[in-house]
Amino acid sequence: MNNSSNETPTLPAGISSGFLKTVGIAALLVLVIMRWNDFISIFANVLLWIYDLLGNGPHMFGIAIILFTILIRLVTWPLNAQQMKGAAAMQEMNNDKEWQAIQKKYAKDKEKLQAEQMRIYREKGINPFGSCLPTLIQFPIIIALYQSITRALASTPLDLLKLSRSIIFPFLNVSELIPLNSKFLWMNLGQPESVPFFGFALPTLAIIVALTTYVQSKLTLPATTNPNDQSAAMGQSMAITMPLMLGWFALTFPSGLSVYFITSNLLGIIQYAAQGKANWRNLLPGGQKQLQQKK
Amino acid sequence: MRKKLVFVTLVLLIAVILSGCVGGPVRGASWAGLAANGETAYLADGAFVYAINLNDGREIWHYPAKVDSKQLFYATPVITSDGLIIVGSAGTNHSLIAINPGTIDPKTGSPIEAWIFTAAEDHWVAPPLIVGDKLFAPNGDGNLYVLNLSDGQSTKKAEKVIELGGRLWAQPITDGTRVFVTSLDHSIVAIDAATYEVLWHENLTSAIPGSAIIGADGMLYVGTLDSHFEKIDPATGKHETVLTTEGWLWGTPAVEGDNIFIADLTGQLYSYNTSTGTNNWSSIKPDGAVTANPLILPDFILFATESGKTEEDPGNIFAVSREGKILWNEEISGEKGGKIYTTPVFAGNLILVAPLGAEGYLYAYDLNGRQASWSPFIPGQ
Repeated sequence: MNNSSNETPTLPAGISSGFLKTVGIAALLVLVIMRWNDFISIFANVLLWIYDLLGNGPHMFGIAIILFTILIRLVTWPLNAQQMKGAAAMQEMNNDKEWQAIQKKYAKDKEKLQAEQMRIYREKGINPFGSCLPTLIQFPIIIALYQSITRALASTPLDLLKLSRSIIFPFLNVSELIPLNSKFLWMNLGQPESVPFFGFALPTLAIIVALTTYVQSKLTLPATTNPNDQSAAMGQSMAITMPLMLGWFALTFPSGLSVYFITSNLLGIIQYAAQGKANWRNLLPGGQKQLQQKK
Repeated sequence: MRKKLVFVTLVLLIAVILSGCVGGPVRGASWAGLAANGETAYLADGAFVYAINLNDGREIWHYPAKVDSKQLFYATPVITSDGLIIVGSAGTNHSLIAINPGTIDPKTGSPIEAWIFTAAEDHWVAPPLIVGDKLFAPNGDGNLYVLNLSDGQSTKKAEKVIELGGRLWAQPITDGTRVFVTSLDHSIVAIDAATYEVLWHENLTSAIPGSAIIGADGMLYVGTLDSHFEKIDPATGKHETVLTTEGWLWGTPAVEGDNIFIADLTGQLYSYNTSTGTNNWSSIKPDGAVTANPLILPDFILFATESGKTEEDPGNIFAVSREGKILWNEEISGEKGGKIYTTPVFAGNLILVAPLGAEGYLYAYDLNGRQASWSPFIPGQ
């Protein structure tokens, strides 16, 4: 046996495994964008397949969306885990004394600061994009899911024609499945939702979407002792902007998308809690401040 | 700071991408609806319904005066005997509107509404049917709304709501005493035009996006999405498949004597003879898919195709003789081409075509396939 076959392959100097991951994810994103229509078709086919398996009766399209969301969450589980790991590592570094020291020391020399930051990243084995790239992957998934729901529901003749051409699973008899039953509980999944309430149209789903997004964002905010921590400040602002943005989407877009948001948020909360990463203290008023003062 | 900027950019990007899909009345959400009366064409296309003078191709008016984000028009307009234009909106207000071209608002230059009906819960895709002074209006919510056209009300209330289920995307037809309604939920229903009683409700094997027609033999004929051409007894609803086509049948067949003309989504054209029960034509597939209804003209049958041999090619109109010979064809001209889904209309001695995605909104051809001097119609030009 040749000894060299047992050696762990090493990457060329200057190329880290984190860099390779980043390039891989970026390449995947480019591929998805280039084959966007096929990407939507795959989503729509899986969604229709689940709907078909469920027996395509009343409420089944809503259940299909929930099951499809669980499937997506399972597929993207490693990405979410990586995101959490990356965020935790970045947070830990923000609280690191050496890191804080170089921020002060090289505050006026940006080039030197960047070089020092990169050195610490290398030494600690942290990929600075480790937490944001998985998030980047979520965006095309949200857009694809929205488009696949609207394509599957086919609310216009043109959409129905497009759907007929999107069928790539040969076992799906879409001419029998059409039209999809868009009723789910009290909602029409093809339209924005609201419930009559004392003469007003109360957007209950939009409220639930905003609430669950807020809870999820808050739970994922890591504990910080550094009051000048920029990433913590960004996390705080995300905890406000994301619920507002998704709530607005839920208000404007077909309620099928809201079902996805709510399911995804609940699964996210469960995932964080199961991994012991959920920071329940953040849900209390001033929870983050209390922690900073305590430390 | 840089991270924050990236995040905000992403949020804005996703908002723009998603908003682009549903925000406001988007032209091209589906194909336009086209109708004509004498020398005027009515085109329901996106935010507006246009009235176009067929002598010079000029816009007479458009409705509404300004873009209304709650209104979206692509249902075929229906012209009443007293000149009102009834058109449904596929926008969020779910309104069915009767436009009165005889009363133009001097401030805006747009006609005003004679009446409006807003009680439906979904989009208006199908044009309504007028029977006497009653309007049978099928909505995407699965209800057939019956309105009284002679009650003088400016805000209509349904005289009767007939719950049929599914999505009603096709104009009902009538034999004078019964109204026949097709649904995407695979069914066809017969309703008594006077009492609104459901006489029979038959399930076919697949969705029916087009209307039925009444053949010379008095039977109903309709195409389905699972490629079946069905013959239905209008008295009982008993049905049988008389022709299996190569692709999905989308449009409404056109009838002339014993012959019924249809076309499918593979682009195959058919001439079905009701007395012999056979297809008169050997395989004719000149071009791409056909969603538009065939148009019967004195010297030929006009078929409009979505696209050419490849999906990138523009749509064509084909003049096909009754013997199945292609006499001429004309491609949608211009840099952008365009696809034809809307059923062409013949008016003012012109064949009118409303393609989707072309530079022009409306193209006009004479019976030899030559474009009218003013064609195409482009709003604002």
